[in-house]
Amino acid sequence: MTERKAPRRTTGRKLNRRDFLKLGGAGLAGAALLGTAGCGGGGSGSGDLIFAMGTDTSGTLQNLIDKFNKQSKGFKVQFREMPTDTGQYFDKIRTQFQAGGGDIDVIGADVIWPAQFAANGWIADVSDKFPESERQKFLDAPVQSLIYEDKIYGVPWFTDAGLLYYRQDLLEKAGYSEPPKTWTELQEMAEKVKQDQGIKNGFVFQGDQYEGGVCNGLEYIWTNGGDVLDPNDPNAIVIDSPEAADGLAIEHSMLQEGVAPQSVSTYTETETDPAFLNGDAVFARNWPYMYALAGTEDYPDVKPEQIGIAPLPVAEGQGESASALGGWNMLINAASDRQEEAWQFVQFMTSEESQRIRTLEATLLPTRTSLYSDQEIRETVPVVALGEVALKNARPRPVSPYYSDMSLEMQEQFNASLKGEISPEEAVGTLQESLTEIVQAGS
Amino acid sequence: MTSATGQKKRRGGWIKEEFGNAERRTAYYMILPALLIILAIAFFPIMYSVLLSVTSSTITGFGSFVGAENYIEMFQNEDFWEGLKNTLIFTVVSVTIEFIIGLGIALAINRAFRGRGLVRAAVLVPWAFPTVISAVMWRLMFQDQIGVINEVANGIGLISEPILSDTTLLLLGAIFVDVWKTTPFMALLLLAGLQTIPGDIYEAARVDGANVMQRFFRITMPMLKGTILVALLFRTLDAYRVYDLFWVMSGQQLESLSTFVFKSVRVSQLLFAQGNAASVFIFVTAFLIALIFIKVFGMQTGTEE
Repeated sequence: MTERKAPRRTTGRKLNRRDFLKLGGAGLAGAALLGTAGCGGGGSGSGDLIFAMGTDTSGTLQNLIDKFNKQSKGFKVQFREMPTDTGQYFDKIRTQFQAGGGDIDVIGADVIWPAQFAANGWIADVSDKFPESERQKFLDAPVQSLIYEDKIYGVPWFTDAGLLYYRQDLLEKAGYSEPPKTWTELQEMAEKVKQDQGIKNGFVFQGDQYEGGVCNGLEYIWTNGGDVLDPNDPNAIVIDSPEAADGLAIEHSMLQEGVAPQSVSTYTETETDPAFLNGDAVFARNWPYMYALAGTEDYPDVKPEQIGIAPLPVAEGQGESASALGGWNMLINAASDRQEEAWQFVQFMTSEESQRIRTLEATLLPTRTSLYSDQEIRETVPVVALGEVALKNARPRPVSPYYSDMSLEMQEQFNASLKGEISPEEAVGTLQESLTEIVQAGS
Repeated sequence: MTSATGQKKRRGGWIKEEFGNAERRTAYYMILPALLIILAIAFFPIMYSVLLSVTSSTITGFGSFVGAENYIEMFQNEDFWEGLKNTLIFTVVSVTIEFIIGLGIALAINRAFRGRGLVRAAVLVPWAFPTVISAVMWRLMFQDQIGVINEVANGIGLISEPILSDTTLLLLGAIFVDVWKTTPFMALLLLAGLQTIPGDIYEAARVDGANVMQRFFRITMPMLKGTILVALLFRTLDAYRVYDLFWVMSGQQLESLSTFVFKSVRVSQLLFAQGNAASVFIFVTAFLIALIFIKVFGMQTGTEE
């Protein structure tokens, strides 16, 4: 190299090539964060039909697939395991779609995904295969979560909804024969039981800055008559209303009045389970799964018979309870060249018989209404009977192709309002603005 | 004209000199694969990000050219400022504390004493933990139901609210955990530097009557300067791109520049281009930090004298 001949400088250093390379090396530290481009081809070829879903610890999923493979003609289904963490699963599927479709034919998808996929044309419109007459056999909210711009993009598989768990034994001791109907009643009852019987916390729920925090926040808004999107116009944001603000104010009052521990603003389901199941809380808001954990080896203190389940309370003067809808749907990749086979598999998995097996063996809640009157299910999986009303009150979170962005905003504002960093009015005001921007950016 | 042709000639001469010689040609062939890999995995993604950051691209498609719009929006984004503020405080405070404690540890274990090997090994334990694991571990200790630190801090009246629900306490916690975790690394780097200082210099100084403080400031510090700068640069750049500690320990509540980039690029669908602008921002500022170390503090980048 040329500079080899030149006398090496000892003073007055200038940036030479070597320095530049070193700098580049240091800069690579930052570069590790830079985004990368996706590439790859799409479409599935011959071979097995591929079905993706998060880890299934119960093993019933593989059994059902084996059963399908035994009776199917001409093709087999292969299960592709996806991350348990919903966010990571979403990220993975989205990356595949971006790269041109990927090789997955059928997707087990969270209820908040359909609009986000459908808006990009990634999932198949099944409106013709899944007519109104068929949809009526399913719970309404899961069906709604699949509808985007008047078309339906999949079939509901199993469902989830926020429930109010209460300690029946403690309430009875305190002279209450019924669970609270309103949030105020809940606060009074919690306060009384807490003081009389020395329970650490009145009420625990999920207030952390994450998707579950959005579900909780929305429930307070809904049960006070507020909403995020105008029911008649999905592009109109109506969150800046006194109802929504007061709803968030109720959530904040739980923390402020000491009904809920101050740290509830950092709680996810992981913190809720031990708080309630170790006997440290009178009430808890959680998903149906928690019922099955009571009295098990991990949580021997609180037995299932000590627990009652009710729909979430409402604000004073409000009629109907509402819960955030969770659960999973089955979608078909629009880029798959085996739409018919994929549909056969979706039909099989969402059939009454398959859902029945999945409910009995994996305690997942069915989406077919008929199964709620099935005697065996009601006895084996009591949460189906106990939570029936709440499950029927479930409402989907805002259906939007930009739900991820809306969720990020809501997570932040709901959490800040819960902690009291900002007032509920400020929170809904900020959300009105930012959510409107998001909806407009999408149209 | 003449100068242009002259340059051309010289350039031709340069190429001839570099590639005319068979031995040099072989050398180039041998570094070619490495060069190509660097181009493909470092240079291309960086340039692609820069390109994305000046377009209206989304995660699903390449957009049109919008100039500096993404950068302007980024600088108007409160979350970005929150991340920048946290990152700067975290970097400056944690690296400073790590340096002071690390230097102390290095000086201590540089001396010969019984059990030195054991102490050196023990000091490295926190550093050997994967960050995610130590982040989860500390989160549990800070937690209010089972967390020992929260319990003790509450008991002696140090805090009035749970650590994890207060952003300031979380940032302090993150700094504390980082100090706990990476001080050993700092100490080890400094120790390596200390051991290159010949003992006879100290002896000579002692003969000349220099006391401990004089020996430290006149011999140890100047001789250690190169090592200190390298250690500080490493740690500064490392702290500057903090992601896992914040994300996991705070349960995603504490924003840093890197968590901002992650949220924008991987979670959000609308902030994709802005996230790329932020990652370019991190890249450029990290580059500037390195430049400051080299130009302002006179850090040696070559190995030869």
